[in-house]
This record gives sequence, C-alpha cells and structure tokens, in this order.
Amino acid sequence: MFEARLAQSAILKKVLEAVKDLLSEATFECSDSGIMVQAMDNAHVSLVSLNLRSDGFDKFRCDRNLSMGMNITTMTKILRCASSEDTVTLRAWDNPDNIIFIFESPSKEKLAEYEMKLINMDQEHLGIPETMYSCVVKMPSAEFARICKDLSQFGEAITIACSKEGVKFSAAGDYGNANIKLAQTAEVDKEEEAVCIDMQEPVKLTFACRYLNSFVKATPLCAQVKLSMSADVPLVCEYSIGEIGHIRYYLAPKIDDEDEN
Amino acid sequence: MGILGLSKLIADVAPEAIKECELKHLFGRKIAIDASMCLYQFLIAVRSEGAQLTSVDGETTSHLMGTFYRTIRLVENGIKPVYVFDGKPPTLKGGELAKRAERREEAQKQLQAAEEAGNAEDVDKFNRRLVKVTKQHAEDAKQLLKLMGIPYIDAPCEAEAQCAAMVKSGKVYATATEDMDALTFGSNVLLRRLTFSEARKMPIQEIQYDKVLHGLQLNKEEFIDLCIMLGCDYTSSIKGVGPKRAIELIRNHKSLEKILDNLDTKKYPVPEDWNYKDARMLFIEPEIKDPEEVDLKWNDPDEDGLVQFLCGDKQFNEERVRNGAKKLVKARNTGTQGRIDSFFKILPSTTPQKRKQADDKKTSNKKAKTTGGGRGRKPK
Repeated sequence: MFEARLAQSAILKKVLEAVKDLLSEATFECSDSGIMVQAMDNAHVSLVSLNLRSDGFDKFRCDRNLSMGMNITTMTKILRCASSEDTVTLRAWDNPDNIIFIFESPSKEKLAEYEMKLINMDQEHLGIPETMYSCVVKMPSAEFARICKDLSQFGEAITIACSKEGVKFSAAGDYGNANIKLAQTAEVDKEEEAVCIDMQEPVKLTFACRYLNSFVKATPLCAQVKLSMSADVPLVCEYSIGEIGHIRYYLAPKIDDEDEN
Repeated sequence: MGILGLSKLIADVAPEAIKECELKHLFGRKIAIDASMCLYQFLIAVRSEGAQLTSVDGETTSHLMGTFYRTIRLVENGIKPVYVFDGKPPTLKGGELAKRAERREEAQKQLQAAEEAGNAEDVDKFNRRLVKVTKQHAEDAKQLLKLMGIPYIDAPCEAEAQCAAMVKSGKVYATATEDMDALTFGSNVLLRRLTFSEARKMPIQEIQYDKVLHGLQLNKEEFIDLCIMLGCDYTSSIKGVGPKRAIELIRNHKSLEKILDNLDTKKYPVPEDWNYKDARMLFIEPEIKDPEEVDLKWNDPDEDGLVQFLCGDKQFNEERVRNGAKKLVKARNTGTQGRIDSFFKILPSTTPQKRKQADDKKTSNKKAKTTGGGRGRKPK
C-alpha cells in the first residue's frame, strides 16, 4: 500500500501549477524515500525533475515501489477541488489501477475523496550527469519571473550573459531590444532578496522565452531561484519546495551554428 | 505505390512504432522529402475551384504554389528540408509502370465519357486521376528550390532509396513520403503527411523502423521478404497470401526460399519465373549516390530571383512572394532550438524483462483490460 499525507494541500497545488504547462502526463515514482517525477515536455526541449522526500510528509508509507502514470491535467483539476488548508492524502494499493485523493477540512467536518484512473505510459528515463556549472546565479524568484515576462515582449528568446560584474538578460526582436542587468547584492539584509553570483568563467546562452515562462510558474513555491549555466549544456532552473524537496527544470539552449543535427 | 497494406499491418501488429506528432515538434530536424510524391500531392490538391492553377499560357503552376508555401511553412517551423528527386526508374519497375499507364488510359477514356455525359463530379475525379508529374514539373520545382536556397538532390534511381540511405548515414533525421517502401529501404524514421495542407489538421505520423521490426518480430531481411509478399512495385506477389498469412509465413520460415519450399502451391499459385530475388536485391542494394558525397547547404533565398520567376507569367502575387522570401530569411537567422534528449542520454530501462512478464500476467488475469495493460507501472 502507498499512502502519503500533507497537512496542507497548498504545496501540492503549487507543484501542479508549476508543471502543468509543460507536462500533460507524467509517471510518479514512489518508493520509501519519497516521490519522484522526471519527464520531458512533448517537444523534448525541456525536462522537469521533481523530488518530494518522504520525511517532508506528515505521514508516508510505501510498501512496494510504484510507478504511477498520471494525467496532469486531470490531477490539476482534482487538486483545484481542495482548499489550501485542507489536509491531502494520496493513497493507492499495490499494483494499482487508480489513485485516491482525500481532502479533509481543518475542522474535520468535510471529507472529500476523488479517485483518478492511472494511465499507461512509456517510460524514458534520462541520465543527468553531475555537472560543475560555470555560473550559478541565485536571485529572487519574483524578479526572475518579471524579467522573463518583460523580455518576452521583445523576442522569442532571452540571452543570459553572466560575468563578474553581474548577470545580463537581453532580448531582441522586430520592434527593438531590451537589456536588464542585475548586479550582485553588496550587503545582504534579507537573504531572499539577494542576488548572488558564483562564477568560474563567464557564460552566454540563449533560451526560448516560451519555456522560461512556463518555469516561472513555480515562483509561488520559493522566494529564491537558482540558475545554473555552462556553455553548450542545458540551463538548470531550481526552486526548493519548502522543507520537502525541490523542482528542477532543465532547458536545452538555442544553437547558432550549423553542425547540430 | 509503395507496399500494399503495410501501414495497416504495422498499425495492427506494431502500433507502438507509429507516433503522431505536431509539425512544430520537428524543429531543428533535417528531413529528406520525396519530391515526386509531394509534387504529385500538390498537383492534385492545390487547386482553385477544381482546376489546377495555371500561368497565362495555361501551364500548370499548382506544384510551384505548393512547393513555395509549404516549404516556407516547414522552414518557419525550424525544419531543414532537402528535396530528393527520382532518377530513372529501375528496370524491374517496368511492369508496375505499364500497369499505371494502363490505368491512366482507362481514366482518360472515362474522362471523355464523363465529359460527354456532362457529369462534372466525374470529370473532376478522372481529371485528378490523370495527374502526372512530368519532367517539366520537376525542373520547375528545382529552379524554385534553388532560388529559395533549399537544397535538392537528383537520385540516380528511386528517391525513397536515396532518402533512406541519407537517413541511415545520419545526414538527415527522416524521410518524408507517403510511400511505405521507404521503410523497406531501411529508413530509420519515416514521416507521413508532412507536406499535407495545414488546413487539413492532420497530425504527422512518425514511424520508427526499429520499432516496426521489433513489433513484427522480424529482422531486416525478413522484413524485406515480407514486403515483397505484401506486394511491392518491383515484382508480383503470391495470389491468396494476404498480410496476415504473409507475416505468419515469414515468422515460421524466415525467408522466401523456405516459404516456397513449404508452400502448398496448388492453393497459393506462385507467379511463374517469380523474380523476387531481384526485387530483394533492389531493396538491399539500391542504386544510390553515396550519402557522404552529398553536400547539403541551406542558403539565403534570392528574393528578386523569386519575384522574377514566380510573378509575371506565372501570376503569383509579388507582395506575397516577397513576404515569403522574408520569412525564409528570418527563419534562417534564428538559432535552432536544442533538444534535451541530445544532452542527456536515455537510460536503458532497468526492469524491462520483469515488466513485460508482469504485463502478460496482468492482461491474462484481467481480461477486461486492453493490450499492454499495466505498462508504465512496474510492480516490483
């Protein structure tokens, strides 16, 4: 049997909002260490990696490892039926065909149960190599969301250039171009408002706005976002999920030269 | 036209080999397009009020219209097309070509009859049957492609064979044609409906060769023999042997030679002097240009050249042609989006065997389930 309980459904709601733009369905891998999801979007440009540790749940029990294919759209609809303060419990039997969502109001007066059919999915697991990134930028997540939104008005792609001085976001299009520079915060009063750059060597990479704008849907999860970049490898955009885990987005860069295939 | 009933057979026996995808998901891919096939499509489909588009002198321009706008659509979606034109038909195709000529004659007669009877619907129908891609059409299209900066290749023989060779060598990602024999030639990926009109809203079919083989449980040679039995352009097939029987025979006996040894020839008359060996050779070693020597280069379009070629006599709208050229330039200058699975490798599934067994057990236990019930879940 598998059972996982969170005191507040808000976290799960936010997680769903953070992935539903990119994934229409995904396999949830459950084991006694927690719940893991790894999935690519339809076009295979980006990858979502979600990790929820078992110790972050109020109650977690997983007798046998389970891989459950879930329709994210349906799951989002179900989670929308829960109030943010409701306790949420996920439950499934061994070899399940269904998963059950149980929402309980704080006063314990209302108990709602939703059962969702699981789906069959081809699993393709990608091996993500350990990488030492040339630049790691930590910045307020709301700021990053704002920059992505603002720059999307100018072009389809955002170029992120990171150097000693700071990090520069730019976009160019038919109407003109836009540049936003962020300098490293000198004095840190509040940690979550700081811009912090850890640079080995400068990098400059270009990414499609469409995907970045899907990633920033995770902003409500965490006040800070971590961007890791190296030349010619995918960007990693990481948000912590409270004390319970993290969500990482990987995004393949745009390539200029001819020798791609 | 390709292999008789192969697409249906694959859909029935190896459905996992066929995937539907959207055009925009093919960004960054180089794709070899069977030019004769798509010119033919354009001649049939690109029409105004049932009649082909023509120049002032009454020469057809439907194929140019199609090539121009649909190529732009591909390029705008980040695809790098290369057109492959047929060379001389292989001698074995003579029989098939004669048959086609016969059918055309037939259609011609029916057309006349319909015209006399004044049945507009039939006139239209038989008119379309008479459509043929001529040398002139191909030459026009080549000139247009050159002006658009899109590469093309003259295959020495069959275009599908050349496309397949280019896919195999990794020069391009896929072959785009409706002809299933691209698979028989061993094209790793076959795309169907790529050059269909956008208005038809048909998703593109992507057929994976290795998944086809895996699903049919055949190796390459057995697959070729299967295709010959189903009926190809190069030789006749055994009467009374349909797709179901053909796949059964090839699985049991592994080759056409063994099948002939074991087949009840009274029930299933084998054609006299059946030259299946020649047909097989044609699939295994087709006459092609070495893909390594093929140089693929995408260039900027020649806007003025396009205007000169398409406007005027051919009655294209100058503004739309110039716009098209600008779209081509713009698409060239935006970088290509990378794919995440080209950076991170797909890990071999850790428990495929176990999963499969579990699958089988599940389907037999729970009859109500459709095939493959439980795939995607691996009970441990």
